[in-house]
Amino acid sequence: MEYTELIKDYLDDATGHLNRIDTSLLLLEKNGANKDIIINTLGSLHTFKGNSGMMGFESLKLYIHQVEELLKKVSDNEISLDRVIDGLLNSANVIRGALHEIEKDSAANPDLTENILGLQHLMECPDNGHERQMVDPLSYLGTKTDTIKVDFKKLDDLLNLVGELVIFKTRLNQIETRIRGEVNNKSLSKELNAGLELMGKTISGLQEGIMKARMLPVSHVFSKFPRMVRDLAKMQGKEIQLLFEGEDTELDKTVIDELEEPLLHIIRNAIDHGIESISERIKKGKNRSGRIILSAAQESNYVIIKIIDDGRGINFEKIKEMAIEKGLIKSEDALDKESIISLIFSAGFTTKQQATDISGRGIGLDVVNKNISKLNGHVIADSITEKGTSFTIKLPLSLAIIPALMAETGGEVYAIPMSAVNESVKVKEDDIHIINNHEVIRFREKVLPIVRLSEFFGLGSKKRKKIYLIIVGRAEKRIAIAVDRLRGQQEIVIKPLDETFGKSYGIAGASISGDGRIILIIDILAFWNKKSKK
Amino acid sequence: MNLPPSGLAEDILADFKEPKSELHLVTFNIGEEYGVPISQVHEIIRVGNITIVPNSPSYMEGVINLRGKVLPVLNLRKRLKLSERDMSKASRIIVTEVGDKVIGLLVDAVSHVIKVPAGFVETAPEEVLEVDTDYITGVGKLKERLIIMLDLEKLLRREKIEIKAEQQSSRAAGEVY
Repeated sequence: MEYTELIKDYLDDATGHLNRIDTSLLLLEKNGANKDIIINTLGSLHTFKGNSGMMGFESLKLYIHQVEELLKKVSDNEISLDRVIDGLLNSANVIRGALHEIEKDSAANPDLTENILGLQHLMECPDNGHERQMVDPLSYLGTKTDTIKVDFKKLDDLLNLVGELVIFKTRLNQIETRIRGEVNNKSLSKELNAGLELMGKTISGLQEGIMKARMLPVSHVFSKFPRMVRDLAKMQGKEIQLLFEGEDTELDKTVIDELEEPLLHIIRNAIDHGIESISERIKKGKNRSGRIILSAAQESNYVIIKIIDDGRGINFEKIKEMAIEKGLIKSEDALDKESIISLIFSAGFTTKQQATDISGRGIGLDVVNKNISKLNGHVIADSITEKGTSFTIKLPLSLAIIPALMAETGGEVYAIPMSAVNESVKVKEDDIHIINNHEVIRFREKVLPIVRLSEFFGLGSKKRKKIYLIIVGRAEKRIAIAVDRLRGQQEIVIKPLDETFGKSYGIAGASISGDGRIILIIDILAFWNKKSKK
Repeated sequence: MNLPPSGLAEDILADFKEPKSELHLVTFNIGEEYGVPISQVHEIIRVGNITIVPNSPSYMEGVINLRGKVLPVLNLRKRLKLSERDMSKASRIIVTEVGDKVIGLLVDAVSHVIKVPAGFVETAPEEVLEVDTDYITGVGKLKERLIIMLDLEKLLRREKIEIKAEQQSSRAAGEVY
């Protein structure tokens, strides 16, 4: 953040505190000493003091400290309120003057030494004469602010309304198409079309505007980690630098909130298992301090977040051994690097024999995978031995409106979040083979298991000569979902399903299409859960 | 007008409190005539397009679009384990609100909106009823008709427990293969 922006934030905040302090002091003047009011005022003063110190306004900080001390004395009944209330009210004006000075010139650092001495004097001999601080009447108005605080729920409600608007617009477009076919009045349908187009543009603008209003920079999450990294590194006798890149990339607040935990797990892993101890790093000829980079960047409708460390990297042999031991794979399976890495996201997988108190035991990366999938995103890992490991998280910009692939099967239409889809292909039924009682397909030199959506959901479906396969997931975890037909890509508004349905297996939520029908959104994760059970 | 023996103003006024003296009911048919308090009913709608939710409890009929909201619909016959019947032209969905939960109940037909005296509901004699008396607050007699009062709160609370049980058993079944 720019310094001038920080100053602006500080002034906004300071004006708020000052107004609260002023109101409380006026109340105290009118009604006499009241413990609750005094305690609240002390709280405001304390925060205000801290902020001022952080911004480097040393003299102002000391002055506020003096005011705090004076009020504490009143609170402890050492000085009676009416003997110092004038002085206290005056001090608010002194502070106001100082803030005004800072507002006019952000380089200013008001010197309040004399006022501090005045307050000390007041504390020693109360109600002894003190000069009235005169302030510019304009400064009573405080600094003007460009931001307002809004309850997030209000933004949520607005977004819901926009979501409905998007649905109604699709509906009107469908009616327009019908009118064009049925009513023989070219100029009328042309006008209707133009009107709808304009409305569509306005709705898109509205949608974008509200989505933007809900966005926060990822620095909100990132900034939570430096302290943790420092403390953990110290505890383990390591030296670790945490670097940020693109921390002003913005994401929907709901996504930001859900991102904290997955990032925590990944960073903890990097500290505990990735980065080596100082001596080990020196022996390897690496820089003595390890490095973790947290980066964020926007790519069209997605945000890519990367966590990169320069530690020892993933030990492929060890992962393979562990996976065989746990029965996740067979020893004769020939796996490539990508497939081995994807194993670390399996439930209960950990290579560290001894769990540290931070990383815990056995949980971690499978939770990361689950949480990210819940956000309709996905995570992949990559690693080079002795060079380091990287995690890449791909997330949709918003949780509420996502792009989805519409697929029809057994007469029903389902939505599959695009973030999970690799590609889709049309194949002949003859291309499908059966191995071990499972239907599979040979696709790009790999054998992929097929899940027929109609069977998975217990719907009837006619045999067709040609079906569509939607490839989802990554590496060894790729699955081909078989559907009757594809219906193109669409932006859908996600609505949660009522809990009356329980955790309906394989359904992540519902959406309403332009013609008013309800379309269910598929929970991709369910396919693997089912598969692992077999 | 008879004054209460105490002669106190509050006792006199107590007689005028409306809710005590009358009950407003919506009655509907699923084999027998059932009733719920009108205060729990939002509206009554025709059965439109119901989207089936796969892998959900069998008595959950699916979801419908109620003016932009996704409304769950429960098949009351299946829920009360009565014999099943196909939907007809008379079938309706009663949109109810209990607690903070809005849910649709699929019934064969809606009969009446009636007012009955407060003392109308009596405890249900267990042996005469086809359904589990757990979900019944009582039975009322209106001339020749018998109206079974449904306890929606209990019915929907039970819901959650049974969903859990059903899911556990389906999970156990899944592990067999």
